[in-house]
Amino acid sequence: MTERLKERITDLQGQLRDGKIGRRDFLRYASLLGLSVGAAEALAACAPKATPTTAPPAQPTTAPAKPTTAPAAPTTAPPPAAPAKEPKKGHMLMFDPIACTGCLTCAVVCADKYATEYFPDYAKSNLNLEFSRIRPMRWQYVDYPNMCWYCHLIKWAEGSDLAPCAKVCPQNSIVVVPEGEGKAEFTGMGYMTVDRATCLGLEACGRCLEICEDQFGSGISFDPIEKKAQMCSRCGGVPACVDACPEPLALQFVPVGRDGRFYSQTPSEYARSLYYKMYGERGRV
Amino acid sequence: MAEMTGYAGKIARVDLSKGTVTTVETPVEVLKKFLGGSALGVYYLYKEGVVDPSVKPFDAANMLQFMIGPMNGFAPNARSVTVTKSAYNFISIATSGGRAAAELKFAGWDGIQIVGKSSKPVYLEVINDKITIKDAAHLWGKGAQETEKLLLDSIVAPLEFRESIVTDADMTPEWAAIRPPGGKGCGAKRLGAAWVIGQGGENRVWYANVITEGARAHGRYGPGAIMGDKKLKGIVIRGTQGQKFADKAKFLQLTKEIQASEAKDYFWRSYGTAGIGANTANIEDSYPIRNWQWDAWADPDAIKTLEGPFMDFTSFVHRMSCPNCHLHCMYTSQVTSADPLMDGAITDMPDWEAMGMVGGNLGFVELPGTSPNDTYKGTQADRAEGLAKTQFTTFRHDDYGMDYIEGGTLLALVAELRQRNLISAADLDGVDVKWGDVHSFDALLTKIVHREGIGDVLANGTWETAKYFAKKKGNDKILDYPVGQHRYGQPAHDVRGFDKNALEYVTVGRPSEHTGGGGAGFGKADYPAAIAGQNVKCSQDSLVYCIFAAGHWGGRTTGMVQAATGWSDFVEADLAKVGARQYAMNRLFDIHTQQLKDPKKDWDMVSYPKRWFEALPTGSAKGKRAYDGDVNKLFNEALPAYWKARGWSEDKGIPSTDKLKELGIDDIAESIAKTYR
Repeated sequence: MTERLKERITDLQGQLRDGKIGRRDFLRYASLLGLSVGAAEALAACAPKATPTTAPPAQPTTAPAKPTTAPAAPTTAPPPAAPAKEPKKGHMLMFDPIACTGCLTCAVVCADKYATEYFPDYAKSNLNLEFSRIRPMRWQYVDYPNMCWYCHLIKWAEGSDLAPCAKVCPQNSIVVVPEGEGKAEFTGMGYMTVDRATCLGLEACGRCLEICEDQFGSGISFDPIEKKAQMCSRCGGVPACVDACPEPLALQFVPVGRDGRFYSQTPSEYARSLYYKMYGERGRV
Repeated sequence: MAEMTGYAGKIARVDLSKGTVTTVETPVEVLKKFLGGSALGVYYLYKEGVVDPSVKPFDAANMLQFMIGPMNGFAPNARSVTVTKSAYNFISIATSGGRAAAELKFAGWDGIQIVGKSSKPVYLEVINDKITIKDAAHLWGKGAQETEKLLLDSIVAPLEFRESIVTDADMTPEWAAIRPPGGKGCGAKRLGAAWVIGQGGENRVWYANVITEGARAHGRYGPGAIMGDKKLKGIVIRGTQGQKFADKAKFLQLTKEIQASEAKDYFWRSYGTAGIGANTANIEDSYPIRNWQWDAWADPDAIKTLEGPFMDFTSFVHRMSCPNCHLHCMYTSQVTSADPLMDGAITDMPDWEAMGMVGGNLGFVELPGTSPNDTYKGTQADRAEGLAKTQFTTFRHDDYGMDYIEGGTLLALVAELRQRNLISAADLDGVDVKWGDVHSFDALLTKIVHREGIGDVLANGTWETAKYFAKKKGNDKILDYPVGQHRYGQPAHDVRGFDKNALEYVTVGRPSEHTGGGGAGFGKADYPAAIAGQNVKCSQDSLVYCIFAAGHWGGRTTGMVQAATGWSDFVEADLAKVGARQYAMNRLFDIHTQQLKDPKKDWDMVSYPKRWFEALPTGSAKGKRAYDGDVNKLFNEALPAYWKARGWSEDKGIPSTDKLKELGIDDIAESIAKTYR
């Protein structure tokens, strides 16, 4: 990072801390200065949170350029707290639907962690599962821990290799945060996240969830305060849900290849399959 | 409305006659006295006059309540509780696990109270603050499992639903060419929970229950009958509002400690109550076999049919937790049988009560043509068929939505009356009930659930059935065979062996409740200790959390209440007081609604099982009888001593004026108590 950039960022952080600008403005200005969304998020986190606003941003006439190669993470800003565990890249969450008991412990941990991050005032005394990126669903006698499973389009056939939600997003708000960027234990290590500064939210948009449910799973949800999209960012490679799960091997974070169509059916479809696997044709209801 | 923590701060009152939904706010001083759940539900039965004998169980004025407590939502081991006046005309309080309690809190309610009656089948859709009464014509006549599936498929929160806006232009041309958007919009999430009734509730079978998650039940005392009478088929809930705490960090820390303790508890984590059978049935001599004619098989090997690992390897499929519980005591199971009637049915386990009440009690363990006195000579395949019969009968009761404790007691009564030729097959419309014959029991069950022929009599429960046959046959001896104190079926724990003392069933706050607590105190005739145990159990039903996890809550309960509510002055003794209030109110409720001038004779002794005083034929307690066979000792010595320890009159068990004042419930209970003293 150049000296001039450092200066400007430090100034912006000060303004954020003093409440002169909001978090969204900080992220926008930081992006304009060339920082990736992940790096800007990390820097914003170093300043006290401003009260979240609920007014959606105006729809831009032209979508901002998606950051592809971002500058290296700043070295002069206060570093995020060191993660207790080594973050892992190239991993994915896998679960055993028989071992999972549907106890919701994963969702409680996730909801509290991300609500505290994005809505600290609310989270001081509130818990709400709607902030969770993982939502165990229960059908008759079947449990399925629903979340974003990171499917993507196939370039040679579908003209893109982005995640389908990212492709249909008019704001390019669904971004990959590279290794070395983002906020430790929240984003980074090549996992996706939603740029909350630019996401239009469900009331104005919601295309990400619609296309997900139309052709893949149901991996996006919307927070109940700003109604902006939320997706699993794998906690930047140290997923809190896996640590919290009390059942051996029910939820794991493992290095496994994927071809874009892994766990890419809707929860109802998987529940139906599981029901037949677990109870067979003889299963009567 | 003052903002509260822990509590949502409001209860919904749904009037199905008028089609209205209103909001009831409970004052904090009332909450501090009754907490929530069962005690608060009983308070409202008094406050709204349902306690009055003029309100009959199937009157529109009867109120069915689904209640939760201040910690339900994110607290581990949450349960919900139904509170109403039962079809038997006594207090009905029944708890159940499952996700619905948390979902109701997240929707912003501490309870739902239903009064009035709908003219046509309806269900309630609860999406946060919005409660809608909806047509249930498509659900009426369906079993509990299918009803719940359909309701869960029908509900999405506002943040989960939106009409389609995605067009080809949002996609790459190649992608859109292969798979254009389908235009369905958003709506695939499935995060609701539901309480439903089966055909048993629809047809007002007195012991019909309310089911959730297929096999969890507000099982006892017939809340489903009242729900069915109101033509309410189900309640489906989706809440997105979360829960507010006075001290969230403390609440989460205590939750973590409780869960860590649970995670090491391999008593419950190993098959739940299905793991107990082989450990205790041969040891305690308290297991129901053929209407309690035996409490242990002469050959201990017989219990291998109902042994945890065998049942698991034969049929268990999936462990299911209640929210934030790390005990996962419920296992789904699927019946494997050569008999097409049973094969493939999906149910849970059987748990201890099912193993007993619709297992041993119906003669499903012994081979045909043998008795519990004989050596067990079956193969593993025979054992699997014995298990299948138990599981299938469990499935039938759950899917019809009926209590298999009272139901098992009833079927066993009829089988014993046939065994002794006190009734004929013709008295049962030609169904010749025999021990171990699952087809004949199922035929009878079908008649009961549809109230066809003799089923219309049996649907009113064990005691009414005995009375009917005693009158029809002119033989009062028939009244010696129903096994249930206070006119309701006895659970799978007898009082002649080493499990329970008979006084526990006589004094417990709900008829024939096996989870009332205080067992150790009763065993030593230490009534203050027994009462302390009973009172604590009532506070658990009021908070509302699971007794299976109670040990893990030990020493943390008041901390949880404080962290949720912010009541820093709330102490352990307050929990006991809630229980003492509930016991006094339950007692007076049962006496007043039945207008009992001589409660001991007409209530406490009206249906006590004569079997308690018959010697056990086998087992570790062979030859033993309750209170050494002395009825007088139980009812005229032990019972008055217990009542005295409660501060109730020794002749009738009526709480004294001073006691009601001390408990702070004289304002609602004294006017009733004084008319019966």
